[in-house]
Parts: sequence; C-alpha cells; structure tokens
Amino acid sequence: MKLAYYPGCVAQESGKELDMATRWVCRALGIELVEFPTFSCCGSGFVDEANEVLNVALNARNLAIAERAGLDLLTICSTCQGMLSLANTRLGDARVKARVDGALKPLGIEYRGTTKVKHLLHVLTKEVGLDAIRAKVVRPLGGLKVGAFYGCHLLRPSDELLSESAEEPKSFEELLAALGATPVYYRGRVMCCGFPIQFVKPAVASTIAGHQIDDARAHGADAMATPCPLCHISLDAYQNQAAKAVGHPLDMPVFHLPQVVGLALGATPEELGLPRHLVPTTAAVAKIRPSVRA
Amino acid sequence: MPEETVSATFDVYRYDPGKDPAPRYDRYTLDLPRHTPVLSALLRIRGEIDPSLTLRYSCRSAICGSCAMQVNSKSRLACETPIGPEMERHGRIVVEPMRNQPVLRDLVVNQAPFWRQYDRIEPHLILDPRNPMPEGKETPMTPEQVEAFGETPRCIACAACYSACPAVEADPTFPGPMALAKLFRFVVDPRDTAHDARLLAIQPGGLWTCLRCHLCTEACPKDVRPSERIRDLKEMAIRVQGATEAGSRHAVGFKENIRERGLLHESKLVRQTSGLAGVASQFGQGVRIYRKKPEILKRPPPIEGRDEVEKIYEALDDPKEGGT
Repeated sequence: MKLAYYPGCVAQESGKELDMATRWVCRALGIELVEFPTFSCCGSGFVDEANEVLNVALNARNLAIAERAGLDLLTICSTCQGMLSLANTRLGDARVKARVDGALKPLGIEYRGTTKVKHLLHVLTKEVGLDAIRAKVVRPLGGLKVGAFYGCHLLRPSDELLSESAEEPKSFEELLAALGATPVYYRGRVMCCGFPIQFVKPAVASTIAGHQIDDARAHGADAMATPCPLCHISLDAYQNQAAKAVGHPLDMPVFHLPQVVGLALGATPEELGLPRHLVPTTAAVAKIRPSVRA
Repeated sequence: MPEETVSATFDVYRYDPGKDPAPRYDRYTLDLPRHTPVLSALLRIRGEIDPSLTLRYSCRSAICGSCAMQVNSKSRLACETPIGPEMERHGRIVVEPMRNQPVLRDLVVNQAPFWRQYDRIEPHLILDPRNPMPEGKETPMTPEQVEAFGETPRCIACAACYSACPAVEADPTFPGPMALAKLFRFVVDPRDTAHDARLLAIQPGGLWTCLRCHLCTEACPKDVRPSERIRDLKEMAIRVQGATEAGSRHAVGFKENIRERGLLHESKLVRQTSGLAGVASQFGQGVRIYRKKPEILKRPPPIEGRDEVEKIYEALDDPKEGGT
C-alpha cells in the first residue's frame, strides 16, 4: 500500500512524536509513505472561519498534488482529515469550483477530485484490516483500559465527510480490542476537546477538556488515545490547565493513535516518542500484562 | 406482515428537585414494535405503569419541538427516535432530560436560559423607521435571496442543539447554536436593516466561543446546520469589524501565519492572537511544554511552492475583506 503522506503542521512541530509513531507503525505494516515537501497547512478550521473559499483553494492545491502522483492521501490528524475532505465536498458545488479553478488554473494546478482522503485510523481498520493487525501483535495490551477520543472533524458533519456514524463510531474501539486492550465507552469519546478556543477562551477550553477526561476516568479508563494531535495538545499538553478548570487532579495519560498500535506491535516507548508527553505514560504502559489476551 | 417486536429496556431519569435527595433511574421493560418512537413508549409507561412520569410533548410529528430529550446521551426529538436501533446499539434505552437547562421534574427542563439567549439576538425584523414596509403588501425576494437563508427558517426551537453544545456547557453566557442560527437568519434577511449592528452586538463573547465541533449540526432534527451558519457569521463579522476579538484575531492571524511559509508557525500564532500580554500569561505553560517539546519555538522552513500559496492568497483573499 502506497499513500501520499500528509503529516500536517503539528506532527512536524510540537507533536513530532506522532510523526515518529506513524512512521514506525507504517513501516511495520508495509504501508509506503510518499512525502511531498509542497503540501501546505490544511487551515485547521481557522482559515475556513476567516475566508471559506481561500481555505477550499489551499486544500484543493494539496489534493491536486496527491492527485498528480496518482495517490490517495493519508492524514494523521482529525482536523486535517476534516478540512481536506470538506474541500472535496465543497468543490462539488460548481460555483465554489469555478472560483477555486480561477485561482489554481493560472498556476497550472488542476483539481479533478479523484484523490480520496484517508485517516490512518480508517486505513488501519478498513484497508490493512483488523485480522492483519492482530497477526502482527507481539505485545497484546491486555490489562489496559483505553478510552478512544475521536476528535470532532473525523466525525462531523457526518453527511459532508461521509464518515462512519458520528454518534456511534466504533472503528477505534474495534482497533483497540484487536490490539488486546479493553475499549472504554463513554459519552465524551465523540465530544469536543476544547482546542479551537484554547487561545481565545482558555478557561472555557480547559473546562471542556476536563469534562471529557473526567468522563473517561469515570468509565474506568487507564488512558485515553486520540487520532488527532490537536486533541492531544488539549488533553495532554494542557491537562494541567484542565485540572485547574475542573478543580481536581486528572493524571490521565493520553496516547496518539499510532502509539497504542506501535506498543502492541513491539515498539519501545522511546521509538514512539512517549517520553515527550507532558503527562507521563509510564504507569499506563506498566499496566500492560502481555500474557492477557482480550 | 406484522412488524418485528423487541423487548425494550428503558432506564428513565426521575427527579423531583423539591422532593428527591438525588436523581434516580427507573427501569421499565416493554415488548414493542421496533419502529415505536421513544415518545410513544414513554406515553405507554406513563399511561400503563407510572402516571407520575413527567414529560413535555405535543404534536408527536416532529413539528412542535416540545419532546427534545437525551436518548442514550444524544439530544433528540423523542417522537422521531425509533427504539429498535437504540436497543441494537446499546442493549437498553437511557432516557434523560436535555442538558444545559435545569431540571424541573423528570424529563422536563426549565428552558429559560435557552429563551434568554434567543431574546438576546432580537429575533424580529429591525426596519428603517424612515422607510417602513408598505402596509398590506408583500416584500418579494429573489430565489438567490431566499437561498441565502439556508435551512435556518426551518428551526423549530426544540433546543436539541443547545443541549448538545459543549461551549454552552462550559460557558452559559455563550448564546448557543439556535440563537446564532436565528441571528444568521436576520442578518441575511434583505428586509432587515440592522445587519452590521447585529454582528457587532453579538461579537463580544458571543460568536468566537463556538468550537465548530458540529455537535449541534448533528443533533438538529431539521438540518438547520447551526455550526456552518456560525462559521458564516464569523466571516461576515471579520468583514464588518476586522480582527478585533481574540477569536477573530486568531482566525485572521492563522490565515496570515500560514501565508508566510505554507505551514503553521506555532509560537507566532500565540503572539498574533493574544498579544504580548497573552504571551506573558502563557509564559509558564509555554516553558512547561518547551521542556518536552522544544519544537514549539521552531520556525518551520517554507514549503516548496510557497509562491503558489501566495498567488492563491492574492487571487482569493481581498485585504478589504478581512485580511490584515
């Protein structure tokens, strides 16, 4: 399997551990990542707020880059996934397409709309397949109760993203079970992490993050795992602020999606960048009892 | 063909704040056709098992918006939520009152906070007194003018969106999705004369708390798509007022930030949004993160083809329309 790798900004910067873990897991599963130094930021939803058509055009350019190479695009961020697939949907509107073409054609860029945008979660669960992943598990995550945290833009708006059920998704939980972990179901798993207003309304953002972490904990989670590095910033890097906002300690380790996969496939915590987290993951990793197979 | 029957288990939230020390869940099990709406099941429970069960409903046809409640944690109209799929997904049906509004009794909430936010947007046409609408005459609109409303006129004010909104949950001063979707409806109404004033009035604390999580759009039974209309309001507000709020500064700052290199320069964005005072208030947190993730101060190298990005901005980002 060969995919155009779209790491997004955060995984190239403060969330580098996500990029490390993605590369490790893709190597282990035989997914070839083709890199394009020409990709720009997806706009992260903020450019969309400031100028919708500009945001669509920037992503049409990104999509056209993969299209020219005849590849589908692999994202590792719920927001990148949402913004790039939303561009595909909005370009179905002839008026939007005409304005975007007007900006891209003079640059020799053609968007045809044949490139699919695929998040790593869905590549792992639908294309690599749970059986193939199960077969590669060398360290089942038995004993570890993990609350998946999907990230809004992987799920919603469901009709425009053609995502799995926005309210009852199950791909991440099925993957966690295939890795030997026990998935924890809680309301917060499909809720918002607060990140979009982290710098706009910090106290509100942290309260929202705190609510989701509390909910995961109340349902028995030892750790959370997210396919979105922006959620990771809210839940991990700003967890101390969330604790302040809800008025009690939280101490919830939060994994990136490929880190939980990598752990089960035999990677070391260092190879997955776990020491870079703000909330230590060591206690959660120590809970793994290799002999227990879910 | 007789419809398939399911044995449905309901765990229904019961609470009388004046009497009960704490809320409880009462369990009822009924054999019902799988397409039975949750509302019909609740009315059977009330009629046949427990007449004290308190709920609000009226039309039973998804028109009046009275029976919004939480079904297995989703804010929904009970009258159009069939029990079959809920049983298949969850093995039981947990019925709770809407969130973000205080419970009066059982499934009935006090909607005062919701309506207060609605009042705040002045939900009526504001006309120019010097140029009143001619009495007894209609104001024709072009198809394009009607299209601009989107689905916002279909809103039945059921409050499912308000119940689903995490921003309302964390900040009750936020107007919430319904009030903002209604605001949009007046801002695009060609008869209204207060468009810009409406945008200016709602901005302080009103618009930029929206997380664009789209939970409201998912909850809305009428496809009003509040989150997308709030997005439209944000772009309009930037055009009217420029980047004056932390939220609009963040959006415009982000847009300008990636124009420079094609990728985000993380630490610079904090400066763009929060100014020096904001950077100072974030300093301790920044140092904490920097120790583990020194890349937060890294300036990313420009992408290859940054000139293409610049040309796209030149073609589509008119500085008069929200650029800086």
